Amino acid sequence: MEAPPVTVMPITSGTINMMEYLLQGSVLDSALESLLHRLRGLCDNMEPETFTDHELVYLLKGQQGNPFILRARRSLSHPTAPWHLRYLGQPEVGDKSRHALVRNCVDVAASHSLPDFLNEMGFRMDHEFVTSGHIFRKGAMKVVVCNVSRVLVPGNTENTERMSLSHLVELSVLAPAGQDTMSEDMRSFAEQLKPLIHLEKIDPSKQRH
Amino acid sequence: MHNSEVPLSCMALFEGGPCLTADTNFDVLMVKLKSHFQNAKGHKVECRGSRYRYCDFLIKVGTVTMSSSARGISVEVEYCPCVVPGDCWNLMREFIQSFLGNNVPELPTVFAAKPEGLFAPADCVDTMTQYLELFNKLRKLQIPGSNVR
Repeated sequence: MEAPPVTVMPITSGTINMMEYLLQGSVLDSALESLLHRLRGLCDNMEPETFTDHELVYLLKGQQGNPFILRARRSLSHPTAPWHLRYLGQPEVGDKSRHALVRNCVDVAASHSLPDFLNEMGFRMDHEFVTSGHIFRKGAMKVVVCNVSRVLVPGNTENTERMSLSHLVELSVLAPAGQDTMSEDMRSFAEQLKPLIHLEKIDPSKQRH
Repeated sequence: MHNSEVPLSCMALFEGGPCLTADTNFDVLMVKLKSHFQNAKGHKVECRGSRYRYCDFLIKVGTVTMSSSARGISVEVEYCPCVVPGDCWNLMREFIQSFLGNNVPELPTVFAAKPEGLFAPADCVDTMTQYLELFNKLRKLQIPGSNVR
């Protein structure tokens, strides 16, 4: 497949490289209520927010080894909202004592023509899933508690099947590159959630088969 | 493609294909994709000029430059109150004729190709498609006495 020529615009000065700090864990459905209760107490006082999102993961297979991965996400509860395109880089291997997974993150809001556009660019959809759950916030930290469902028929989000009887919990922060203090704050927050849930740094490279 | 009318947006178009409207982080993403796509060097086309407002009309006159060599002049006319091109095309023709003389263009193909109803949505897709056509025309134009890269 021939790669189409692309004109690259120069980056305007002032674009900051954003990094995502991430801790993940899971909790059985039976313990969900107690976790939500504790999170409501620990996190910022706001109306509990629920969401239902449909995420499609696109791959671009290049000549080199690693395919380029892009995640396109849309809200099923707000169908007119823009799509959210996300690129996550390789995890930063540095300080082994760093408590959270750190990787480069680029977030782009996009119009509804995104899936067609990505297909035209040469990306192919690898898999898709539907997630729904709750979102909490504490300062710059975001806690997402959600269940992940498999889409049985590609493109049909009505027909889904839960992947497991537990909920995925993710604690993440988006910060400019260089701010290393965030992982300490995340660790102390994670301590407060023990023993309900054990949030830890997960190596994504061990997950791909 | 970028348009100063919508400074926080970035448009990406395939000719005759899908068009994406995204925010400015899309440029950052394209840089990340550099290793997967061939970079079309020297093909940056820019149109820079002045923006005038005359009653309900918005006129933008600019110089089109390609890699810092001037290739032509562009004139953009927008009739703001109307979103149906078919209804106001005659009015626009008359207005353009008043300052461009007999160089009035035909109804742009973007609108001619649309089904009956001819609605021009508020996002810049139609405008950018027209600019893309113009830039492509100017790219192919040969300047006498110089090499075309």
